[in-house]
Formats: sequence, C-alpha cells, structure tokens
Amino acid sequence: MGAERNAIYRRRVLVNRFNLLMSLGAMAFGMLFLFWILAVLFGNGVAALSPTLFSQPTPPPGSAGGLANAIAGSVAMVAVATLVGAPVGVLAGVYLAEFGAGSRFADATRFINDILLSAPSIVLGLVVYIAWVARVGHFSGWAGSAALGLIAIPVVVRTTENMLRLVPASLREAAVALGAPRWRVILQVTLRAVRGGVITGVLLAVARIAGETAPLLFTALNNQFWSTDMNGPMANLPVVIFQFAMSPYDDWQALAWAGALLITLAVLALNVLARTVFRQDIH
Amino acid sequence: MNAEIPIARPAVAHRDDAPAAPKMSIRHLDFHYGAFHALKDVSLDVGEKRVTAFIGPSGCGKSTLLRVLNRMYSLYPGQRASGEVLLNGSDILGPDVDLNLLRAKVGMVFQKPTPFPMSIRDNVAFGVSLYERLTAREMDERVEWALTKAALWNEVKDKLGQSGTALSGGQQQRLCIARAVAVQPEVVLFDEPTSALDPISTAKVEELIAELKSDYTIAIVTHNMQQAARVSDCTAYMYLGELIEFGETDELFLRPRRRETEDYITGRFG
Amino acid sequence: MTEHTIKQFDADLEAIRTGVLTMGGLVEAQLARAIGVLENDAAEGLVDRVGADERQINQMQIQIDQQCAQIIARRQPAAGDLRMVLTIVKITNDLERIGDEVKKVAYKASASPDDKLVRVRFYDVVRAAGLAQRMLRMALDAFARLDVAAAAEIVDSDDELDAAFGGILRQLISYMMEDPRTISASLEIVFIARSIERIGDHAKNIAEAVVQAVRGTDVRHATAAEIRAEVAGP
Repeated sequence: MGAERNAIYRRRVLVNRFNLLMSLGAMAFGMLFLFWILAVLFGNGVAALSPTLFSQPTPPPGSAGGLANAIAGSVAMVAVATLVGAPVGVLAGVYLAEFGAGSRFADATRFINDILLSAPSIVLGLVVYIAWVARVGHFSGWAGSAALGLIAIPVVVRTTENMLRLVPASLREAAVALGAPRWRVILQVTLRAVRGGVITGVLLAVARIAGETAPLLFTALNNQFWSTDMNGPMANLPVVIFQFAMSPYDDWQALAWAGALLITLAVLALNVLARTVFRQDIH
Repeated sequence: MNAEIPIARPAVAHRDDAPAAPKMSIRHLDFHYGAFHALKDVSLDVGEKRVTAFIGPSGCGKSTLLRVLNRMYSLYPGQRASGEVLLNGSDILGPDVDLNLLRAKVGMVFQKPTPFPMSIRDNVAFGVSLYERLTAREMDERVEWALTKAALWNEVKDKLGQSGTALSGGQQQRLCIARAVAVQPEVVLFDEPTSALDPISTAKVEELIAELKSDYTIAIVTHNMQQAARVSDCTAYMYLGELIEFGETDELFLRPRRRETEDYITGRFG
Repeated sequence: MTEHTIKQFDADLEAIRTGVLTMGGLVEAQLARAIGVLENDAAEGLVDRVGADERQINQMQIQIDQQCAQIIARRQPAAGDLRMVLTIVKITNDLERIGDEVKKVAYKASASPDDKLVRVRFYDVVRAAGLAQRMLRMALDAFARLDVAAAAEIVDSDDELDAAFGGILRQLISYMMEDPRTISASLEIVFIARSIERIGDHAKNIAEAVVQAVRGTDVRHATAAEIRAEVAGP
C-alpha cells in the first residue's frame, strides 16, 4: 500500500516537473521575441534621438528635422479623444452597471460595445472617413480625434462597468438604506469606491489609442508642416512612423525609429501609471 | 410572582411592561423572488422601542422579511411583496411611497461592515447631509453624538479625517451603526450584524443594541440563537418562509409553544 | 424527542439522567434499609450501611450538579433541554435531602430505648414510612418515564402521608399526657415521623419538577386537582 502510493506520488512529481518545464519554455519563447523587438527598437531608436526631435517639424528627405509637429498632433488628437471619450465611456459604464440590470436596451448596448471593443481599428477609421472626411471633403485633426474617441469609448465603458460590478451590493444598499437618492449613491459612494479602477481604464484607453495608425490614415492623414489647426490634416506619430519607415531615406528611417521609441515609452509610462493608480485603489 | 396564582401561567399574562404599541405591523405579507415564494402569509407586530429578533435556518426568509421593512428589495427587479406593512399606521408597500424618505426613517445595518470610501467623519455625515442643512459646527456635534451613541467616539475622535475603511472590522461595524443612528431614524434594522465579528466586538454591538432600544425600535436577524436570546424582547421563529412562532423571548426560549421551534432552538434541527 | 444535531449533547444529557436514576435507586435502597432498622432495631450493621449510603448520595449530588453546570456552560441548553437540566438540579437536591432524613430515621430508630410501648408505636411509623417509600418510587418512575400524569397521584399520596403524620402526632400526645415517663421516647418517635413526612414532601417536589420539565409549567403549591387540570391540557 505504502509503496504503491509512493509510486503514484513519484509519477505526480515527474508530471509536475514536466509541465513546469513546458510552461517555462513557452514563456521564454514569448519573452525572447518581446525582448528582441525591444532591443532592436532601443538600439535604433536611442541612436536616432536628438534635441531637434522636439523642436523641428518633419523634414523633407535629405535635410535635418524632428518630429515636433507629429508629437503635437498626436498629443492634441489623443487629448481631444480622451476628453470627449472618457466621460461618455464612464457615463455609459455607469448606466450599464447601475441601471442596466435586466434591461434589453442595456444588453444590446453591452453587446455592441463588445463588438466595438474587438472591431479592427481600421474599420472604425473607415467609418469616420465615410461619415465625415468624405462628406466635408478633406482630412482633419477633428476627424482623427473622432476615430480615436470611438476606439477609446468601448475600453472605458468596459472597465467602468466591470469595476462598478465589483462594488459589493451591500455598499450600494448601505447608501440606499440611509435614504440617499440614486445619483448620490453612484457619485459619492460607488463611483468613488472604484475611482482608481476607472482612472486606470481611462489610462489604458489612452495607451491604446496613442499607438493607433490605421484610423488616422483615413482621418487626420499627415502634415509635413507645423500645424495646430485641427480642421486641417494633422501630423501624428503613428502615421509618420508608418510613412518614414517605408521610405528609402536613411534619415527618415532614423526618425521613424525615434518616433517608435517615443510611443513605446509613452505607452509604457501610461501602463506603469495605471498600475500604480489601480494598486492604490485596491488597498 | 403572585402567590394567589397557583399555577404560574406564561409570563406574558402578567408582565409589567405589557407589549408596546406596534411600531410596524406586518399583515398577510407574501414575498416572491421571481417564481419563488419566499414569504408566506406572515403577520406580526414589531413593538415600539423593543428589540424584535428573527431566527431560523438559512433560507427561511428572515433576511427577506427585514428587507421588506425598508423596501430594500425594490432595488431589484423581479422581487415583489404583497400584503400590508404599516409604519406608524400607514402602508409602506404602496406605489406612492417615497422610498428615500422611508429609508431615512427605517435605517439598516448590514452583515458585513460597509464603510463608504471616505473619511470617518464624512461616513457619519453622509446620511445627515441628505435631509438636514446643518452648519459645520452642528454637523460636528451630530457626528460626535452619533459616534458616542455607537461607542466609537473615544477610539476615533483623533482621526476623524482618516478613511473609514482603515478601521478594524468591529470598529467599522460600529461606524456603520453610528451612520445609521446619525440620521435619527425611528426603526433600525440589523441584518446579522455580528456574523463577521469577533466575540468582543460582538459583545460591544449587542450592548449597543440594548442601549439603542431606549430610543429606537429595533429588528434584528441573527443566525445565533443565543444572540437573539440575549438581545431581544420578542423573537420570531421562521421556517421555509412561514412564521412558525412569535412571542416574548423569555417564553420562546424556555417554553416554546410549537414543536418545530423547540427542535430548532434546542439544536435538534435537521 | 428527536436527537440533537450534536450527538455528544444527547450523550451528556443521557449520562446525567442515568446518574439521577442511579442516585434515586440508592436513596430507595437506603430508605428500605432504614425501614428494616425501624422493624428490627437489632440490626446494628444496617444503621452503618444507611450512614454510608448517605455519604455516597452526597457525592453523587455533587457530581451530577457539576455535570449540569458543565452542560449549561458548554451547550447552552434551551427550552425543554434547559428545563430538564434545571429540573435535575432540583431533583438531586431533593434526593440528597431525602438521604439526610433517612439517615436521621435510621439513627433515631436504632437509638430508641427498647420499650414495649415504643415498639408498638413503631407500627404506625413503619406504615407511614412505607407510604413515603411508595411515593419516592412513583416520583422516580415519573422522572424515568417523564410521566406527568403520575404527579397528581403523588400529591394525593402526600396528603395521605400528612394525615398519617397527624394521626401519629395525636396518638403520641395522648400517650405523653397519660404517662409523662413516655415523653422522651415519644419525642424520638415524633422526630422519626417528622423525617418520614419530609421524605414525602421531597418526593412530591420531585414529581412537580418532572411536570415543569415536561410541560414548562410551574405546579409548585398547586393542588392535586389543579395539577390534573394542567396535565390534561394540550
């Protein structure tokens, strides 16, 4: 009996070891490519960094320049998309979590939101192109913001709803039990309880749209020159990277590496920030 | 005991404090969760300034009954009550009842402590500010009064600005009691208020209930029969959605009239 | 009654009930020996046995009371269980008191002078003792079977015993008035009869305690008719 059990136990130990080894291998395989990409990115990007990056607009081929117009354009469009998209997303998330129980409209909204969440961003860009750019007849920063906003909203809706669903029913009931009207319960108690989670969701949405290229190709396009006019075509990092990386010119390619590094660092920073905010909320 | 009464009759017959006027009267109450019939024709009176305890095995409907008394169930679609529940003589189940005003009159303390994500002071002030315009000074006084009532003032008076969630479990529960008391309700409902607390905190909460009784009408749901025996004046034993027995706690724990009650309180259940 | 969810609770309660019945059996045996002393005062060894019995009864009371205190502390009995435990504490108290009275009877009987007059008077006393013995047995049976109907009967018997005690007293008074030389011997008999009357009272207490344990009503100081009415109720 004892020996038999030992045999079973030994077998289990072996199976355990084998599985552990396999998962470690799988992880190493994934990490290898990730670090490879990062190493190449940093190697090329750091070499291409220069002070003029932030002060000069994108140059014609063969001359010196920077990415100032693309950075400004990206920041402007992401900011507008976030300022419009985050409140809409939070409000929709509140609706779904707090009022949507058992409502068909809410179920439909949730379903559509999930589709939007997983829709290829190029489709959203195309939609904005057809609905807006094609009608007014020219590319614009506003249209770019709209496309980015459409991508950001479902992310914020999802995270807000999920976070609010994590609020124990007893907390909501406790506020209701004091005679608090619904809007005060939501604003002062439930939303406040998940403040960090909601902010995290917004930050993750920002990180997501900061690197989007496809929708901007159809909406903001690009602009060789410094421009703050959101009514006209606007430069932005992803499209610049896209164009410059495909070009045959070495200095354009170097600028593309630098831009890629900037975006990666920005997204990384946003992710770290989101995690910090979220962790504060948990404790 | 009166020497002229040869056989001692159930204590109710000659109590000095005859049952108080009912604060809440439940009449033929039925309750449904969707298709599930959770309360079946329940009728009883919750006496004014007395502690009424509801005991019974899990799923007997005692918590459901408590959640009818402040219409908490109305938060959830698919839950409905029929019958009558009178508070000070008027039916609270009607469609025209202002639920917020009702809940301001019938406060509730929950099983798990539920401090709001705000400071200790704001936790207590939250409910008060909903219905009263107080100056900062009046509010401070009210906060101190409520925290003192909840036997928490001495422990938190130096850290009113700290988050309520940073307190210990027992303190959090007393904070919740302070919060409920601060709005000066007429009835306070306790839904298993000590099931998440250690024995010392439990004793403090029980002591608090005994003190609150002089000002408030109290209904408490508890899994702990000894707790019901300790804190309540009247006890209702419920089983499978029905009220099996309702009477003075002294009577019910010594001489239950129904066999089902006896089996439950003596630990012969199931 | 069905079993407790906690089986040990049943075992504890049963152990205590068995202890009470054992103690009761001992008291009965002790009383029988004391009656033997009354009938035959030459039984010197019997008196010592009665004294030894009394000490053992005292020990049993202490032990059962402890068990009752433990069950209250550990299991928080309620309703019928609580009444049973409280009743048992009362019953052991009565049994212990009976043991004291029985000892007094045996000691006084053995110490009485071997006087012809006294010898004749013992006849009534022995008859009363027999009555007390019957009451004790009935009370213990009522406890063993939780039989509330027997309680009323025991109360009737107690009235009978009280009457017998009154008769003995009247007789002895008339003897003492006739012949003052019999006073000291007669007083001894009065004390013995008094103890026997007490045994009946304690047996009655036990029966009333059984009613309280089973019905939850306090029938102390009630008449037999009232007890019958109570016991007949729902």
